[in-house]
Amino acid sequence: MKGIVLTEFLELVETKFGLEVVDKIISASKLESEGIYTSVGTYEFSEMLQLLQHLSAHTKISIDALLLVYAEHFFSVIESSYPGLLAIYKDPIEMISSIENHIHVEVRKIYPDAELPTFEVIEKTENSLIMIYKSSRAMHHFGLGLMNKTFEYFNSTAVIDLEKIKEDGTEVKFSITKNK
Amino acid sequence: MKTLKILLIEDDAIEVMKFNRTISKLKLNHEIIGANNVEDDLKLLAQKTNLPNIILLDLNMPKINGIEFLSILKNDDTLKYIPTIILTTSNNQKDLIACYEIGIAGYVLKPLKYEDYVSKIEKLLAYWSINELKNTNERNRTY
Amino acid sequence: MNQQLEGILLRALKREKGARKAAEKILEGKSTEFYDLTQKLKKSNFKLEKLIAEKSSELRGVFENIVDAYVVMDLRGNVIKMNEPATSLLGYDNNQENINLFTLVDVSEVEKVKKSYSKLINNGSITNFQVKINTKSNDQKLVHINASIIYDENHKAIAAQGIVRDITEIKNLELQKEKLLLKLGKSNDELQEYAHIVSHDLKSPLSSIYALVSWLKEDNIGKFDKNSLQNFGHIESTLEKMELLISDVLLYSSVSLDESKKLNVDLNIVIEDLKKIIFIPSHIKINVKNKLPVVFGERTKFQQLFQNLIGNAIKFNNKKNGLIEIDVSEKKSFYQFSIKDNGVGIEKKYHDKIFKIFHSLNDHKDSTGIGLSIVKKIIDLYNGNIWIESDYGKGTTFHFTLKK
Repeated sequence: MKGIVLTEFLELVETKFGLEVVDKIISASKLESEGIYTSVGTYEFSEMLQLLQHLSAHTKISIDALLLVYAEHFFSVIESSYPGLLAIYKDPIEMISSIENHIHVEVRKIYPDAELPTFEVIEKTENSLIMIYKSSRAMHHFGLGLMNKTFEYFNSTAVIDLEKIKEDGTEVKFSITKNK
Repeated sequence: MKTLKILLIEDDAIEVMKFNRTISKLKLNHEIIGANNVEDDLKLLAQKTNLPNIILLDLNMPKINGIEFLSILKNDDTLKYIPTIILTTSNNQKDLIACYEIGIAGYVLKPLKYEDYVSKIEKLLAYWSINELKNTNERNRTY
Repeated sequence: MNQQLEGILLRALKREKGARKAAEKILEGKSTEFYDLTQKLKKSNFKLEKLIAEKSSELRGVFENIVDAYVVMDLRGNVIKMNEPATSLLGYDNNQENINLFTLVDVSEVEKVKKSYSKLINNGSITNFQVKINTKSNDQKLVHINASIIYDENHKAIAAQGIVRDITEIKNLELQKEKLLLKLGKSNDELQEYAHIVSHDLKSPLSSIYALVSWLKEDNIGKFDKNSLQNFGHIESTLEKMELLISDVLLYSSVSLDESKKLNVDLNIVIEDLKKIIFIPSHIKINVKNKLPVVFGERTKFQQLFQNLIGNAIKFNNKKNGLIEIDVSEKKSFYQFSIKDNGVGIEKKYHDKIFKIFHSLNDHKDSTGIGLSIVKKIIDLYNGNIWIESDYGKGTTFHFTLKK
């Protein structure tokens, strides 16, 4: 897992819950990295998972809900760090449908060894999009949060339905309908 | 059997003798006209008063080529109806084709042996004497 | 509580330091990686440059050493580059003067060249283009051009290159050859015509003599003695032989190839047809031992060939049970045929002579000695050979080949 996901996550935890909670969830986890993260490094995904689980236990908020909030935060990171990535799009559907073909390509330029989920476009119209998310990480709510923010970024809203194709969440169908 | 008036166009005196002798040998009553000289023969034809029923024409003649002679005949509105049979020793395919192209009624090769010659002439004349022919002199009578 | 906070802060600080060091280490690793990559790139660049230099020098070598004229021009036909042979062919040098394709070609050819040049640009190449050009010294030359377009790295056409060959001489020779062939054909036709006329002129007196002899006999029945009558018979058979001779000479002189009549000929059918034409006495058998091939040529020539050989085999057979065997074997570039008989045979000393014209070994009534000459002439026309094997008194085998 890319370091930036972890550093931004801990940053958000610190902002929302304080340094104390950061310290607590790190201490509670068994981390090979000992909680020392840099955005350019690469770490085990299990570290992210442990941090998430301990934060969920501490705050009594579900992991999915935490991921959703985190994704919204992460979108603002993208917005401020890589404005060029967003500037070329005029429409949220266009942008989301080109995750595979464009955004992930750009990501690989910066993080060549990043392990990225796949988003397969099943159906696309001007105002709707059906995609299949596939990732062993089962971080579909992270994706959902990013999508929500995307619509917000373009001053619109959408109904996004999630349907788990696989119980463990490694394969999920996203049905997106833009509100008119 | 009809009696034919035959014009033999032949320069060679012995050939003419051969033909005449053949006719008398076969005891045929055909009338043989011709001057033994191509130029006179042409004049005779040009008068159109005493036209033959058939013409027998040799191809290789010193004064006028038989094919030229044939062309003159076939370009004439009266003479073109007279059946003209080539009687020659030349079996040159080119000559044969040229003759048929202009229009002939037959092409007979003169054999070496006199007996064969007699037999060929007999058959030839027998054939023409049973044929219906245009009366070429009729025109003169109607006027 | 303070102590607790202090612990948290210390741990956070420790993490921050650790993270910084880790980041520095990663970046260090990255720069080493970059350095290595740069070195590698430099190396491969160097190799590429060397390769380009080699290729360029090779090309220059080709350009300078090529025997044919080589010209490079831009898309408007301006000459950019030309080699030594091009300079000596055209008389112009692009280093000293501006040369354009359209002023180089003859005025009458400009339209044709315009069309071909745009075809070259559109299709990328033209071959076998022939055009009249005027050299600097105002010589008109006919040249043959193969040209292609040079593209830049974006596949955009930038120039045209062409190999120019002077074919003025070749073309002249070709024209001369054509003229000669035409002349030859004409004189062949004339000869043919001449042969026919001569043959007619010779035959006519023969038939006259024949008629005169017949009349002498007819008009004097009972007046000649037996001896005189026999002599009349001799005159007649001599006349017949002479006539046959004239016919055969005419036949021999007309054996020449007519390319337009060439087609695939099944020799099996030729032989079957011949068996119907030739008179085969009942005591003579003809066997074809193997299936004969299909050969390309004039049917009548093959027929003449087999007719003469089979005819001879029949004519010169003196055995009670005559046997003629026809066989063939296939070789790499030709077929080898054999016609074997059990006839009189030919003495060794005559083996070469029999193919010469008028050379008949026998005083046979209907043999003039031209048949085998015709056979030889036909085989010569088809680039073949003929030879014989013979056991005098026992039989003869004619072998001959026909090119495939």
